[in-house]
Amino acid sequence: MINKPLLSPLSWIIIAMLIALPFITSSSYILMVMVFVAIHGTLAIGMAILLEHAGIFSLAHPTWFGIGAYVAGILSVRQIVSPSFGVAFSAGVVALISYLIGAPILRLRGYYLACATFALLLIVEMSLGQLGSLTGGYEGLMGIPPLSVGTFTVKTDTQYYFLSWTLCLGCLWFLSNILNSRVGRAIRSFRDSEVASRSMGVDIPKYKLQIFVLTSVMAAIAGSIFCFYIRFTMPGMFGFPLLVELLTMIVIGGGRTLYGPLLGSFITIWLRELIHLYLGKIFPVMKAEVDAIFFGIIIVLILIFIPQGFAGGLERFFHSRSKAFARFQRAGK
Amino acid sequence: MNNSFFEVIGLCKNFGGIQALNDINFFIEKEKITSLIGPNGAGKTTFINLVTGIFPPDKGKIYFRGENIAGLSAHLIASKGIGRTFQLEELFLSMTVLENVMMGCHARTRSGLFRCGFRISSARKEENFIREEAMGHLQLVGLEKKFSHPISALPLGERKLVGIARALAMKPKLLLLDEPVGGLAAHEIEKLINLFFMLLEKGITLLIVEHNMPFVMSISHRIIVLDGGSKIGEGFPEEVKMNKKVIEAYLGKEVY
Repeated sequence: MINKPLLSPLSWIIIAMLIALPFITSSSYILMVMVFVAIHGTLAIGMAILLEHAGIFSLAHPTWFGIGAYVAGILSVRQIVSPSFGVAFSAGVVALISYLIGAPILRLRGYYLACATFALLLIVEMSLGQLGSLTGGYEGLMGIPPLSVGTFTVKTDTQYYFLSWTLCLGCLWFLSNILNSRVGRAIRSFRDSEVASRSMGVDIPKYKLQIFVLTSVMAAIAGSIFCFYIRFTMPGMFGFPLLVELLTMIVIGGGRTLYGPLLGSFITIWLRELIHLYLGKIFPVMKAEVDAIFFGIIIVLILIFIPQGFAGGLERFFHSRSKAFARFQRAGK
Repeated sequence: MNNSFFEVIGLCKNFGGIQALNDINFFIEKEKITSLIGPNGAGKTTFINLVTGIFPPDKGKIYFRGENIAGLSAHLIASKGIGRTFQLEELFLSMTVLENVMMGCHARTRSGLFRCGFRISSARKEENFIREEAMGHLQLVGLEKKFSHPISALPLGERKLVGIARALAMKPKLLLLDEPVGGLAAHEIEKLINLFFMLLEKGITLLIVEHNMPFVMSISHRIIVLDGGSKIGEGFPEEVKMNKKVIEAYLGKEVY
């Protein structure tokens, strides 16, 4: 099966390492980068489900992330609701919007859907910039308070680290359960054969809309936590560059496995940090361009040598190893 | 209301000016094997697609167990108890053999997004039920040992069997088989014939669309012949064999 149960011994070790990390290092830089890994990982996992499993070519993921961040941010800057309600509220708003937009546009297929969702991305990014009095315009929304639940305020990097990783692994767990269930099989089936899927009794528009809204809401929650963490949002953060970054993560990690995009997020974000750290001295002025060149080269290399991404490559490696081992055992008998 | 098990009345379908089916009328007897034959382009597969709701008919009625199902969407028709297989298998290639058959249980099960996502115990129970059902149907077609194989690892004959097991997992009352023996070897066909008679005993009605004449003649209780979108003959195998129009459709007209 493609989607093996997630909680293998290896995943327990990884979870233990993630829990131990803040106790090993007190460097707020490492924790900050890891928060970004978790938040981008949540986005990339959701987007990969749409692209690779459901066959929904939606490019609007940064938009749901952005709307989530802005709704939570605006509500708490203006002190309309407390930040924790802001998270719930932004999830609700995005659920409603993605439902209303998804119902008509998910009837489009392939490139047409990609065009429509890309247009949505541009429209929302531009609107966020133009609605100056509400959103703070292109300069961004300032003065977002930290997340607080009752009297408890989530302030430190360690606290955000645990919060974001709980969200990320929670989403991973939820989506893994879905993919290995009746609903998940239905979602995977229409990419393989739409006629067969319908003949088996699958209501395709219903399931497309469900998975679309679900992953959008996950992106929105990630967005609201992100805005409380960095205490500032800007329309440019939720546009084309983020889209490219998410696609890079999916390609590098491998979208056919569920944890692949998370691995991709980890590799992409740390790689970018390392590039900035070491190459910043050599090319001090052109950071974004250096990024683009390096990621371009890496994506080309990955597409040539491990087209299923790192996760897909790992699975194949272990698979061939276990096969070789079985052969070896048989030969021994 | 209509009392017959399955009956079509005045069924018509056009594809952009080409009349794929023209005023088709016939009925199917319960718990019998009926065959639908005809030369290429006679409209046989179109007929199956209309019955299963892949596209709606232009005109006409399809009665199934007393209810007009013409124009309903495919997933609703599936849940009413009409299963089908496909000429080109149409299996789910990203899934294993077992998962393919598990898909057949979709219309009979209920767990939704949140029950499955949070692994509520009712969803887990249902998942086990689906797995057992699917294993049972794989055993029926004799593929239980290959349950974890990917579809791409199976030869054509076994793929056809997976398609049949998947349709059976729907617990259909009426099973539409689109060219079930196309491209199969003689011993595989024999196995399928045994399987079909076993299904009949379980109370499943079969409608078989096929090209292989010896197979059709040996297995059918009744035969319906289509040509160019119209029904040109119908009856018991012996009657159809003698029917002049049928012979013309298959062998061509005599030239004087």
